[in-house]
Amino acid sequence: MKRILAIALSLVMVLALVACGGGKKSELAGTYDIKVWCAENIVDLTKQQIEDFNKNNEFGITFNATVEPVGEGDAATQMIVDVDAGGDIFCFAQDQFARLVQAGALSKLGVEAGKNVKESNDADAVAAATMGEDLYAYPMTADNGFFMYYDKSVIPEEHIDSLEDILADCEAAGKYFAFETNTSAWYIASWFFATGCKSEWTTDADGNFTAVNDTFDSDAGIIACKGMKKLLDSPANLSSSDGAAFAKNAAVVVTGTWAFTGIKEILGDNMGAADLPSFTVDGQSYHLGSFKGFKLMGVKPQDDANKGAALHKLAQYLTSEQGQLERFNAVAWGPSNTAALAKDEVQANTAIAAVVAQGQYATPQGQIHGSWWNIAKVIGDDVAAANDDAGLKEALDNYKAKIDALFGMTGYIFVGAWNGWDNADMSVKMEDNNGVLTITLDVPESDFMGGRIVTAGTWDTDLGFAQVTEGADLLNAEAAGDDNNIVFLAAGNYTVTCDTTAKTITIVKN
Amino acid sequence: MSKQDITYGTQKRHMGMRAAKTLSNTAVYIILAVISVIWLIPFVFIVLESFRCECHYQVGYIIPQKWGFTNYIELFQNTDFPKWYLNTFIIALFTAAIQTIIVLCMSYTLSRFRFKMRKALMQFMLILGFFPGMLTMIILYRVLKDIGLTQEHAVPGLILVYVASSGMGYYVSKGFFDTIPKSLDEAARIDGATRAQVLFRIILPLAKPIVIYTILTAFMAPWGDFVFAKYISFGASAGMNVAVGLNGFLSLDQIMNKYTLFCAGGVVVAIPVVILFMCLQRYYVEGVTGGAVKG
Repeated sequence: MKRILAIALSLVMVLALVACGGGKKSELAGTYDIKVWCAENIVDLTKQQIEDFNKNNEFGITFNATVEPVGEGDAATQMIVDVDAGGDIFCFAQDQFARLVQAGALSKLGVEAGKNVKESNDADAVAAATMGEDLYAYPMTADNGFFMYYDKSVIPEEHIDSLEDILADCEAAGKYFAFETNTSAWYIASWFFATGCKSEWTTDADGNFTAVNDTFDSDAGIIACKGMKKLLDSPANLSSSDGAAFAKNAAVVVTGTWAFTGIKEILGDNMGAADLPSFTVDGQSYHLGSFKGFKLMGVKPQDDANKGAALHKLAQYLTSEQGQLERFNAVAWGPSNTAALAKDEVQANTAIAAVVAQGQYATPQGQIHGSWWNIAKVIGDDVAAANDDAGLKEALDNYKAKIDALFGMTGYIFVGAWNGWDNADMSVKMEDNNGVLTITLDVPESDFMGGRIVTAGTWDTDLGFAQVTEGADLLNAEAAGDDNNIVFLAAGNYTVTCDTTAKTITIVKN
Repeated sequence: MSKQDITYGTQKRHMGMRAAKTLSNTAVYIILAVISVIWLIPFVFIVLESFRCECHYQVGYIIPQKWGFTNYIELFQNTDFPKWYLNTFIIALFTAAIQTIIVLCMSYTLSRFRFKMRKALMQFMLILGFFPGMLTMIILYRVLKDIGLTQEHAVPGLILVYVASSGMGYYVSKGFFDTIPKSLDEAARIDGATRAQVLFRIILPLAKPIVIYTILTAFMAPWGDFVFAKYISFGASAGMNVAVGLNGFLSLDQIMNKYTLFCAGGVVVAIPVVILFMCLQRYYVEGVTGGAVKG
């Protein structure tokens, strides 16, 4: 027994010496079993990169890694189902970012790592990996956007800037123009971004969505629909984003860099890639927009702090300039690292060049509510079915109503000077008791202490000054104007009661 | 009217009936042919695609320009397909064996024994069977994960899942057993056979069709299962079955390089099921209808 103890003790001492004497070896030194999830075509490369990391890192970290082919789409879904069983390091497209943060599937980057990422990556890519103030993931590619591949033998170079010319060429040649308009919100948004529409979502630090500024349902939105209708009504229209459509009689396919190798194989020297064209409505031209998206690499939170830190070191290595260049050389993924993107060989790639060219018309894909994708994807079909402007407007109204419903934007609100005339602000929602609405609010002093009772998210109202039956002496009748506004004479605390069936409004000063 | 005319007349009437029959037969055959063509096209298409060697992506034509076995060779050499195939085969084999034993024992018991709560038990299982199995997915996943039978070790986990509720699938075979006269059992019992001996020596040889039917259905189910297999293998290639593994070929980043491999995989998956089916086909029909006659 004594002997065993002696041996054990001396072992401990030797180990302690080794640990001290190692000099460079940090507290992270050790061997870790990890699981990495990445797209199938970079599995071998990633294995190689991890081996390189094992050999060259200065921390004494050795990873015993299992690399599984779990594509970006799948990875996020799986992680949300069971974080515990998911990969320690996994890759995902940024649209899943908010959900992953909410699910607790991503660990925050340290200060130093965060600083590195911010300095060396595209600013939009950094924003895509940021929630609140903190970075939660490492940008890996900046090519997750779409642009146009075309068959040079069908579409002459001088036509590629105009949707109308391209459609005419396609129709003349009996070929298709493939644009995924009936199943994918991601592609449909292109038309709305062209006319300056927005869909901007705000999240809090926990990844919960708090507000949206969505202007698809507007005059600009109608113009976008008219542009989309040109394509949808053309015999050349094909709803697809599959590069293989070129083998099925397509002359143009709107898709992304992931299809590059396949399309190159089909079209060979006839392959062209360019930014999206412009369409013309009422004499004015609009350049099609797109989403500018990123692929990110995340590290799962770990029980063992050292393992977590070691994993972050690996993720940094994999998404470094060198790591991204290696991936570009192997599978032509466009780097988000600015130094890597500036390299000549990267710039020379046609698909990357097209992404960059489309970049100036692209909207960085911020955090978008998960339901948006399903709500917006029906627009394409609705537009195709619409026969006139009223039909288009109806399609957009439906869309808007569903978006508003996401935030419980239903019922009536008393919007006005007191909330900055924000008709999406549910804090001024009127309590509804069988059609009798009430709200008590403070009206602060201002030049125009006016407001109106509207359906949340809209400006539609038939309830205003003219309907006030009691308390009209508290209001400024002259200021009500054509808009039938309710304008208070003095600041103070008021209770407003409105009977929506009898159409009467009572105002009491408290 | 001469005799000849009458004969002629009758003959003409006969001809008319025959013509009508031919006509209706032709119509029926045309409809059947159209239906079978519609039904067969996807299968023919998959087989043709699997032999297409000029490229790996989808194309706009059906007949391959270059024929060959490269898709099959690549499938077995460059992908994890052999592993998935072996997994599925093991799962199917074990499921078939265990499930058959459980189902037959269950049916025999419910058909021949009379015990307290027998009716109540049968009704309870009937009601339980109304709930879709998917409802239990989350809890099953949790349980399997806690005992370590997910991801790389999904194969025993999946066998457990498929076999676990098999006792409830006793209806058809119980119906069949009920048609076998009880006097046979009684005679055997008088001769000194135990209950088990009655089952193995008397009932099972008579119930061969239903045994085969049970084996077949149990063997076939795991080949097509996707939802459970997907969750339980949870991203680990080593634990996937063919359906989940092949589905990966259709993901955005792989479909352009793997589409024809996917088709080849589909053909290979069909082979054992087809062979088994062909060998046991005649029993299959007997088995399905056997229980129904007097169930």
